[in-house]
Amino acid sequence: MVKFLKPGKAVILLQGRFAGRKAVIVRVFEEGTRDRPYGHCLVAGLAKYPKKVIRKDSAKKTAKKSRVKCFIKLVNFTHLMPTRYTLDVDLKDVAAGPDALATRDKKVDACKTAKYRLEERFKTGKNRWFFTKLRF
Amino acid sequence: MAPAKKSKKSTESINNKLQLVMKSGKYTLGYKTVLKTLRNSKGKLIILANNCPPLRKSEIEYYAMLAKVSVHHFHGNNVDLGTACGKYYRVCCLSIIDPGDSDIISTTPGAQ
Repeated sequence: MVKFLKPGKAVILLQGRFAGRKAVIVRVFEEGTRDRPYGHCLVAGLAKYPKKVIRKDSAKKTAKKSRVKCFIKLVNFTHLMPTRYTLDVDLKDVAAGPDALATRDKKVDACKTAKYRLEERFKTGKNRWFFTKLRF
Repeated sequence: MAPAKKSKKSTESINNKLQLVMKSGKYTLGYKTVLKTLRNSKGKLIILANNCPPLRKSEIEYYAMLAKVSVHHFHGNNVDLGTACGKYYRVCCLSIIDPGDSDIISTTPGAQ
């Protein structure tokens, strides 16, 4: 009886191009909108996970390996698998307005800010589960 | 003898309680709606049949763990659970939204 699909929850996408990828919920649309009359949420996830960094790597190599590719997507709740993990990264201003995903360049901007924040978080070494690829 | 008798009695009483919920309360039957009620935190008790596929059982138990909702494993398969609900079809999982006059939620909370 506790709502668990809240902003900050780590989820795994089950359908679509990004099936199997981990994402974090940014915004929840419980009752849906007129265009999407079902419960859905805006998620920001990892299209490309960062590679494994070892101690032997030079600084240049570490920087290259720590890059992530991000995606931002509106996903139906039924296409998500929620997990017990959370990721408290401040992504609220990434996709604030309702038209944050309307045009292509707004979407690209949002992806870029999300990428920057997620890369920062990866470099601190926290939330390690989120940044490891799910093997299946 | 006593524990065996007790379990027989409690399965009967689960059936009775379920009957009361069907009559007076709100419930949904079926996997898709059970997940729906767990997501929007309307479900109060989930009942699973014993021949529920293990992947589906684990998934529902995980959702219920996140939503802090208790799950009851029914002592019978989906045919029996359907009969217990008074339906003429098989029911593998059901979710009780509003127990109505029944006290099923207060008397089977720790049943995992």
